[in-house]
Amino acid sequence: MNTNRRDFLTLTGLTSLSLALPRSLRANTTPPHVLVIGGGFGGATVAKYLKLWGGNIDVTLIDRDASHYACILSNLVVTGAIPISRIQLGYGNLKTKRGVNIVQGEALSVDPASKEVTVKIGNDFFAYAFDKLVLSPGIDFINPAGNYNSDLTPHAWKAGPQTLLLKNQLAAMAKKQTFVMTIPKSPYRCPPGPYERACSVADYLKRKKSGAKIIVLDANASIQAEPINFGNAFTKTYKDVLTYIPNAAVSEVDSSTKTIVTSQGTFKGAVLNVIPNQRAGQIVANAGLVNDPTGKWALVNPLNYASTLYPDIHILGDSQGTGQPKSGHMANSQAKVCADAIIRGFSGEAPDPSPVTSSACFSPITSKTASWLTASFQYDPVTKAMKRVEPSFAEAPRPTSDGMEQMFHWADNIFADSFS
Amino acid sequence: MQTSSPPSHPTTLLRAANPRTLLALSAACAYHTLPAAPPPGQLLSSQCFQCHGTNGQPVSGFEGIGGENANEMHKELLEMSLRKPEGIMDLQIRAYTPAQLRLIANYLSTLPKTGETNDD
Repeated sequence: MNTNRRDFLTLTGLTSLSLALPRSLRANTTPPHVLVIGGGFGGATVAKYLKLWGGNIDVTLIDRDASHYACILSNLVVTGAIPISRIQLGYGNLKTKRGVNIVQGEALSVDPASKEVTVKIGNDFFAYAFDKLVLSPGIDFINPAGNYNSDLTPHAWKAGPQTLLLKNQLAAMAKKQTFVMTIPKSPYRCPPGPYERACSVADYLKRKKSGAKIIVLDANASIQAEPINFGNAFTKTYKDVLTYIPNAAVSEVDSSTKTIVTSQGTFKGAVLNVIPNQRAGQIVANAGLVNDPTGKWALVNPLNYASTLYPDIHILGDSQGTGQPKSGHMANSQAKVCADAIIRGFSGEAPDPSPVTSSACFSPITSKTASWLTASFQYDPVTKAMKRVEPSFAEAPRPTSDGMEQMFHWADNIFADSFS
Repeated sequence: MQTSSPPSHPTTLLRAANPRTLLALSAACAYHTLPAAPPPGQLLSSQCFQCHGTNGQPVSGFEGIGGENANEMHKELLEMSLRKPEGIMDLQIRAYTPAQLRLIANYLSTLPKTGETNDD
């Protein structure tokens, strides 16, 4: 439908009527419309693969920002090792190469009955009709109690301006000062990520800020990913600069004084990097789709990522509650399962009964070396859940310079596989 | 009536009551313009593309995996899944059953070889 026709229909009051028609009553040459909310790794990948595999499907991708900043490699932006432009991923290729409609706006609410999403664009509100909706908004934060302000104590757990804020605070540290960071309660986005950040910052402090220290306050009882590599880094490589404190649940934060109260004591730093506890993106909550026992995530069928509440609304990536790790690589992996199932569904077919998803991740341990972590999942028809394949689950034997090289190749390829 | 220029695609400026009555007339009807079943192995193989590039055509570093002989590729995948793990690939490959590895090898062999064409 072109703009002129839509304007005409709106003027004549017919638009609402025509969009309300079920697809089966519209001309069957009209392609189905898939609306994707959230342009991170999950949303970008599902939009791309719907077009690549699906042929005649209209796909619209809506994100509040004009481009996406990858969390992948973002700890290297914090330390100044790479510029932020290295992790900025635009939507131009999805638009011109794949034919995805790109819309910059903020999705506010979902009406599952009328199959419409309300989107704020500039100062106006629009209703977007869909045949299938995919929500991939990433995480939102559960802000800690107290005088908390992420502009003063950045989380840098959504990349972009927050990443630069933390980078500038780190660069401004004087010698012998302290960097305090927190690790949220699991599950959170990117299990190895906070430990990777601790290593990247510790390496930076050793090289650039003599006598400076980092205190790592972990809300969990132990290191949540790559316990061997991060354990060795904390107790050997960085033993003179890094203090790791497990079981440190955050009770209060004062961002103005950069003070944090935890179950393991009160800490104050020149930089306070609070990474708050996490939940599904707000639009998932607004749509009434948060229904797991913890009250934080959305339950889905892992054969197609459809909500257990509404079969035409799919949730993938960090917001879904299948128990698979929350990461960009995993979101890309799930997005392909979702795209394949949506295409099959339009043709009246059931989803693939045996999907496999995987997560690979490379983490810098020093400025010259990186480790890796991998885990893959098969669908278990008995439990109807994704089950980790234990022989596929491992961390690198040790961090290496080859690992660092592979990390950049991995980033280049997953950036391209998702966004171009 | 709001006058801002609307975004691309099927939207309507929000306004009062939508007529919904025709929803009741819904009838089952498949989408004739869509392709039939996806080829076997396509979805499984796409889980290689995060590192080996869309359709097995990497943009950086790792080897291209499109357009290889299916039997040779299958043999190589099986070997990787059985040997003592040497790197991340040997772990990743252990996610798949032997039957899935066969599907992957067959599908990848139908893709263009790296550099021969693009993925459109």
